[in-house]
Amino acid sequence: MSMVTAHRRARLESFLAAQVAVAVSAQTANLEIDELRLYPVREPVSGRAWTVVRVGTRSGLAGYGECAHASSDDLAAAQRFWLARPATSYASAPADSPLAGAIDMALLDIVGKVAKAPVYRLLGGPTRSKARAFASAEGVGAGVKRAIEAGYRAVGVRVPAPAARNQGQAYQVELRKLVETVRSQAADFVLEGEGLLTPGDAASVAAAIQSLHPLWFDEPTTIGSLETLRKIADESVAPLGFGRDIRHAGVFQDLLRAGSLDVARPDILHFGITGSRRIAALAETYYVAVAPRHEGGPIATAAALHLAASLPNFFIQHIPLPAAAEDRAMRAQLAGGDLERVKDGFASLPNGPGLGVTVNEAVLEKYHAA
Amino acid sequence: MQRRGFLALGGPGLAWAARGGRRPADLCGCALAPQPAGSNAFEGLRSGVAISGLKVFGVSLTRDSDRPYVFVKIETDQGVVGWGEGTLEGKAGAVMACVNDFRDFLIGADPMQVEHLWQSMYVQSFYRAGPVMGSAISGIDQALWDIRGKVLGMPVYKLLGGPIDARGVRGYYHTNASTRDELAKLRETAIQQGVSCFKAGIPGYYEWIETNAKIRRAVASLQTMREGLGPDIDIAIDFHAKTSPSVAQILVKEVEPLNLLFIEEPCPPENVAAMARIARHSTTPIATGERLVASYGCRELIEMGVIDILQTDINHVGGITGLWKAASLAGISGVSMAPHACEGPIGGLATLHVDAALPNFLVQEICGQVRPSAQDKIWEEWFGFPAMRMVDGRFPLRDRPGLGFELSEASLAKYPFGGTRPMARAFHEDGSVAEW
Repeated sequence: MSMVTAHRRARLESFLAAQVAVAVSAQTANLEIDELRLYPVREPVSGRAWTVVRVGTRSGLAGYGECAHASSDDLAAAQRFWLARPATSYASAPADSPLAGAIDMALLDIVGKVAKAPVYRLLGGPTRSKARAFASAEGVGAGVKRAIEAGYRAVGVRVPAPAARNQGQAYQVELRKLVETVRSQAADFVLEGEGLLTPGDAASVAAAIQSLHPLWFDEPTTIGSLETLRKIADESVAPLGFGRDIRHAGVFQDLLRAGSLDVARPDILHFGITGSRRIAALAETYYVAVAPRHEGGPIATAAALHLAASLPNFFIQHIPLPAAAEDRAMRAQLAGGDLERVKDGFASLPNGPGLGVTVNEAVLEKYHAA
Repeated sequence: MQRRGFLALGGPGLAWAARGGRRPADLCGCALAPQPAGSNAFEGLRSGVAISGLKVFGVSLTRDSDRPYVFVKIETDQGVVGWGEGTLEGKAGAVMACVNDFRDFLIGADPMQVEHLWQSMYVQSFYRAGPVMGSAISGIDQALWDIRGKVLGMPVYKLLGGPIDARGVRGYYHTNASTRDELAKLRETAIQQGVSCFKAGIPGYYEWIETNAKIRRAVASLQTMREGLGPDIDIAIDFHAKTSPSVAQILVKEVEPLNLLFIEEPCPPENVAAMARIARHSTTPIATGERLVASYGCRELIEMGVIDILQTDINHVGGITGLWKAASLAGISGVSMAPHACEGPIGGLATLHVDAALPNFLVQEICGQVRPSAQDKIWEEWFGFPAMRMVDGRFPLRDRPGLGFELSEASLAKYPFGGTRPMARAFHEDGSVAEW
């Protein structure tokens, strides 16, 4: 590029930037929230359910987010708080509302659309060009195969359901066999405990599988006494992940301080993007990575991918991969088929302003979970 | 009202400046009226030597060197000069500026009052020390010790009560040898030269959580190293904080049977509890400290029983004064010293003086290889002796006053400052920032 051209281009760019700045401030004035709606939806076969929240502004913009179940009382309380507030005030969200995560996603969606920028750019990213992903396999054989065929390189596999408390040798043998089967199909896996084991069993399982190097042992037991969890962490070097039962960020702080957490798994439907970012900022000071939990729909997947591209310490994103083709089709129709596509173990960052998702509201009606 | 108040304050402040005084305009109400440096309190206690000049040199061995040396020269009214080093990789310009910021603390002061001047630079800078200020103080401190030794006619290690071992200071070289052939040759050379210890870096970059393949590869590479070098040569492995605690704890456990001399920086240094967690999982000694500043920066690591070996660097920790104090704290807790040295030769030579006087000394690093390099040749040209080369596995101690060398500005002029260069950067597959 010649000097003259470069100079001209710089002038043009600064002119355009000024235009954008004007456009933004003009629209900000009309960003008062005037609509808050819930669309509870359900995958037809698996029955996995979540709630889509739509936030509208006086200027006619709409933003979408997802949370788990929310009652009409919750909606009424959220409307009392949010109606007439500006969509830019997403940081003021009360954390105790079941809608908090969804509203956070929806407001960032709106702010991104106003700024004509993807959410990750609003948040100072991208910190990475793509996001590593894993899917939970439903059943070791076919489930793992489906995930690999879908482009995943890492899978989640559930521990065998224990027959009773305090399992012994037989359980260990069964577990090892399971892990070896998975290893033969997929290089990398997360061992999902789902809180099914007692702390004692969890510690033996962690010790038994540590030399097989799972990516981590997820929810080895339910979160009870911190000292009990610390004992599991002290008795093996298998990395531990928690988040399923955590509804307050302070619990992550307790786990980090106790040295019992290797993978922080804030639930994206509960903490939203902003809440997860705050937890990630804390985890960063312990050199601990974040891999948000996600049991919702494709809008939350988009939110999680923007979150991943805004964090330095993101490791991997769980993306629901339903076994039934009908469920997978429903997700693709809802938000576009490309969003949850995974290639060579990575998901692409969504394109377009805000969350970069065009929500098909007809699909929300069709799969309404009454 | 506010405006009137501002003017009332501004008036006398400006008048002070006009008279050549140094009283700052007190805009926020918190500035102290400074006392003149070297106030009357020490009248009659002065050594008779006064600092008359302060010079700082950026020295780039190659034009694009990413770690130009920062050398400090302090001159006195008695003609005695002292040299020190404050090299800080990637931040040469900032350290040079920071050294110059201390000019007012130093000119006219008694260079023999090292402890007093150190306190003044550290405490009265208010913000305490980060690496830039730590490195600047380190360079000045070494030069002051050099002067004191020369004035008193004694090597610095004797001022510190050494040598504890007359044979010299045990050291280790770095190695990149990784194949069995390379390792066999290295072993042969080491035995010929009497070198008893090497350090190597752990290969690759690491994600927050690592895969089975990556962990196995790392462990296998360290196993090869032990097998290749044999059981009688000490091996230290530098993780360089490339690993998270989650990855490091697996590695330190799995390499336990290799009986390494130590594993260095298994995670970054800010979070002591995170490093403690790694240390709990293995008997392999854990070493850290090259990025720490002043004894304050090391206290928690030592007290919490996290580390077995402290590696503070004489060019960052606060010079001879800072290194000796950090080592003293460490010794009280049974922690050994293996000071880091990966910069220029002045800091290298200065650290030998401290090492020689430490009861808890283990081994001294030098960022050189068993075969002398171009850098070693330049150092020899500067000092007239092979600086930081071992004889029978030890760095010899010279019985000369001060830090024990003469250095001319003219010899440095051949390697002019090529400017500050950023440090290397590494990224993961997805473009995210990797620790290196």
